[in-house]
Amino acid sequence: MIQKKNHGDLRIVLEVWRQNGPGAPGAFEEHEVMANEHMSFLELLDVLNEQLVESGKEPFVFEHDCREGICGSCAMTIDGKPHGPRDRTTACQLHMREYRNGDRVRVEPWRANAFPVVKDLMTDRSAFDRIQQAGGYVSINTGSAPDAHAIPVNKENADMAFDAAACIGCGACVAACPNASAMLFTSAKLSQYTLLPQGQPERDQRALAMVDQMDAEGFGNCTNHYECEAACPKGISVTNIARMNREYARATLRRRN
Amino acid sequence: MNSFIRFLNSSIGRKYVMAVTGLSLTLFLLVHMAGNLTIYAGNEAFNEYADLLESNPLLPLAEAGLLGLFVVHVLFAVLLTGKNKTSRTDRYQANLGMGAKTVASTTMWITGPVLLVFLIIHIWDFRISKELMKEYDLAQMVVDRLRHPVGFMIYSGAIAMVGLHMWHAFQSAFQTLGVAHPRYRALIQNTGRLITVLLVAGFGGIPFYLFFTG
Amino acid sequence: MTIADSPNSSPRLDSKVPGGPMDERWSRHKFDLKLVNPSNRRKFDVIVVGTGLAGGSAAATLAEMGYNVKSFCIHDSPRRAHSIAAQGGINAAKNYKGDGDSVHRLFYDTVKGGDYRSRESNVHRLAEVSVDIIDQCVAQGVPFAREYGGLLDNRSFGGAQVSRTFYARGQTGQQLLLGAYGAMNRMIHAGRIDSYTKREMVDLVVVNGVARGIIVRNLVTGEYERHAAHAVLMCTGGYGNAFFLSTNAKNSNVTAAWRAHKRGAFFANPCYTQIHPTCIPRSGDYQSKLTLMSESLRNDGRVWVPEKEGDPRAPQDIPESERDYYLERKYPSFGNLVPRDVASRNAKTVCDQGRGVGPTGEAVYLDFGDAIRRDGKDAIAARYGNLFEMYERITGDNPYEVPMRIFPAVHYTMGGLWVDYNLESTIPGLFVLGEANFSDHGANRLGASALMQGLADGYFVIPATIASHLAGRQLEAVSTNDDAFKEAEAKARERAEKLLACNGNRSVDSLHRELGNTVWNYCGMERTAEGLQEGIAKVRDLRAEFWSNVKVNGDPNHVNQDLEKAGRVADFMEFAEVMFNDALVRDESCGGHFRAEHQTEEGEARRDDENFAHVSAWEFTEEQKLPTEHREQLTFEEVKLTTRSYK
Repeated sequence: MIQKKNHGDLRIVLEVWRQNGPGAPGAFEEHEVMANEHMSFLELLDVLNEQLVESGKEPFVFEHDCREGICGSCAMTIDGKPHGPRDRTTACQLHMREYRNGDRVRVEPWRANAFPVVKDLMTDRSAFDRIQQAGGYVSINTGSAPDAHAIPVNKENADMAFDAAACIGCGACVAACPNASAMLFTSAKLSQYTLLPQGQPERDQRALAMVDQMDAEGFGNCTNHYECEAACPKGISVTNIARMNREYARATLRRRN
Repeated sequence: MNSFIRFLNSSIGRKYVMAVTGLSLTLFLLVHMAGNLTIYAGNEAFNEYADLLESNPLLPLAEAGLLGLFVVHVLFAVLLTGKNKTSRTDRYQANLGMGAKTVASTTMWITGPVLLVFLIIHIWDFRISKELMKEYDLAQMVVDRLRHPVGFMIYSGAIAMVGLHMWHAFQSAFQTLGVAHPRYRALIQNTGRLITVLLVAGFGGIPFYLFFTG
Repeated sequence: MTIADSPNSSPRLDSKVPGGPMDERWSRHKFDLKLVNPSNRRKFDVIVVGTGLAGGSAAATLAEMGYNVKSFCIHDSPRRAHSIAAQGGINAAKNYKGDGDSVHRLFYDTVKGGDYRSRESNVHRLAEVSVDIIDQCVAQGVPFAREYGGLLDNRSFGGAQVSRTFYARGQTGQQLLLGAYGAMNRMIHAGRIDSYTKREMVDLVVVNGVARGIIVRNLVTGEYERHAAHAVLMCTGGYGNAFFLSTNAKNSNVTAAWRAHKRGAFFANPCYTQIHPTCIPRSGDYQSKLTLMSESLRNDGRVWVPEKEGDPRAPQDIPESERDYYLERKYPSFGNLVPRDVASRNAKTVCDQGRGVGPTGEAVYLDFGDAIRRDGKDAIAARYGNLFEMYERITGDNPYEVPMRIFPAVHYTMGGLWVDYNLESTIPGLFVLGEANFSDHGANRLGASALMQGLADGYFVIPATIASHLAGRQLEAVSTNDDAFKEAEAKARERAEKLLACNGNRSVDSLHRELGNTVWNYCGMERTAEGLQEGIAKVRDLRAEFWSNVKVNGDPNHVNQDLEKAGRVADFMEFAEVMFNDALVRDESCGGHFRAEHQTEEGEARRDDENFAHVSAWEFTEEQKLPTEHREQLTFEEVKLTTRSYK
């Protein structure tokens, strides 16, 4: 990793994926952009898009919103690495000081059949929502909750639940997985509720429902490479996958039908 | 029954099958290796051990069980790999990854089939062929086979494949079974590597010993 | 006497605040409200626009009650709404620490913190339901920070004198939002909510004076869709992006609120904007947004600038005697911990004097040198390690060695669509929740209160008050083929076509950036009558420039982010003028609105309670015309009006 300390502009050659829709043929387009070391990677794409607009061309489509690493919108594979070369960093928090003058950078969308390309770098990640809809919640109606202090929660479990809950749903785990598996994502949510007393009543049902939905969406299987953990901008641990495996087996043994 | 079939149809259930059969096969390999080591004590010791095994009336049952384990392991490997290959049909143009995957983890689908081919050769070599013979000296067969350059290459190569396969498989099986408390992650990984080294040294020592002392 | 009866209030602004003792008003009001029978609820369709804390919680709760909910968001998933970025925490008057907190104290602090420009009854209700919010979120499995005994941890936040802030590390907003998202998911799964993602509300449909639907543009296919309902809830956030650079997400916008405004919803107090003092400064013209760092940094960091103007030396080369710790100098008792607005304004003052630091001259130092020498590097790392890391990631500077550079940035907007006690706007059937309404924060929002308000509105207020509309009015059937829908859709299409047809020379971003500069310079931290008038002229010129010279490329029938942006910026261009106007008419200083003409000798805000203790709500009249001002007089029955002092 190169840390450029002196102020200065960098010439970057970008190769960005252009694709008009799911199933449409795609290709890289090459553009030269002047960057500044303080820019974020998305700001570099902003500059590129502004150049394109001004010369009458169509800007590249990419998802982005909060630009502070928490909304999970931005999703792009930079030189084969989801969110780029820096550990625990989303593309919006990746800064150009990681690069050298003259670098050539390839930007591609997440590639997984469960995440079809909508346009350019934008993919359809609604499969994640459907997994959550299958069971990623505690079924409690508003207004019927007991006092917040009614059930003490072991601090270690609460902290582990938080670690799992920190998932931003960006999809980098799927993008990084050689099998395009969504197990890190699914297991993170499942772990959060498995570790908390509030999640216990629906524990078995939740594990079965979320895993079944995950399978139905066409994600691959986990073969324990742990690329997902390495790519996760929030450092979600693969321990969660082990927990999900266990939970799923347990739920299978306990189910009544 | 219904829920069991559902389990076997799920991604996690199939991985469980891989893990359970894989760990059972590991156990078998350890026993197999221990038996092989008798060759260091000379041909007679080796043949005695073989006779002991073959005279056990439960052997056909054990063999059938073993065959079952292999068949299931291979079948589910095919199912899982098939699914994984279709989960990303548009491949990355630049795919360096994040550096977590290893040579062992990414070559499971190569080492697996290679080992299957080896297994067929091996079973033909030492199991089926001797059924066709009236009389045989098993230890001598081993010695002849492994002193021949081709035999030496096949067997030592296959053991390297076992090592590569196991390097990833052991901890992977524990992760799949859900035994992965952060505190034990390193322990499991190291145990797996130790067993792998033991297997490679135990099995692999023999062809080298025979080849270079013959 | 209800507040609506008090003098000076416009008859158009009936706040519907119930009478009686303050702490019984909400219960009584709930009792007096009409109810919708459970078996009748399924006959009512409710549209909820936005899926942040307010929208997500409202959609889930209304669906649980049995209403048919249609939820809309501009993101690809409801989970990405910008509530997710809130860091600090959520206030609740639980008094779990036994340090003397109570509903009344939270109410009192919030009214005072808002510089006496909020509606007392609303704030009291907010304080009352704050405790229920925590119960609800814990039951949902929100992983709040806990103590070793297993109970919830609290901290004191934003200068509050009690520990009432519940938090989930630095990601409280995310965890609360995911809780609401989970509740929504449950209802989507049950078929009670239809979730429409990647839809942007481009108009409100009003039939016979009642809000009965919306027009949305499908951001993937470019199609326009008509959706009808019995009520419309707008939970579409604030308008901070009028400044271009803010801590808001890039897609946050005023469009939904502005279109509703043009259909008859009054816009209240648009000049109330909150500037947060500890943001990472801008580094160049390419900057797309600003990043907030937790205010807690001011507990240990010392703020300073060089004594000399334009001092070129590196901070470590400037001797102690040539540094001006201006906050400590001016406010000896509060020092670096003065409220957000005071800290922000002072930073601007020293930068205007030419003493700002960094490449742009728009920053001040926040120095941890003394704290590190006093407590050791490890102690400081334990407190702020993640913030220091974030700072280094963005700036490339190591704050353990070099002082941080900070500058204020727009963070939250207290103004919004005017609503009554039922959260209903001046258009019957249109309810506005969360940051989108003008609500409960008066002229200044306290830390950890935004999350509280969003969830209060969605989980606890609207589920009760929506019945006033659904059960209280005769709502005839409407069809999306009615003329009102056709007209609204045609108008929306026409606007998009007009934008695409401009084919000028300037990108949308360049025009937005210019607008942002104008708003920041003339209607930012410090405002003057003269500057505001100049600003209005500039905004008008810029609007003309926009419509004659904007360039929008691409296909209107597919994803077209440029077209999306263009539509939003066009609305900001119109909205900004109302904002300037409001700031001009409010001839006093209060909270986030600082008029340089109205300050004490020490440079503090001087309120004019006699003439300005009211809400200004603006009514749209016609294009290019000034809106009409309506006033809702604020009365203070519980809290005494005093002047804030931090000396």
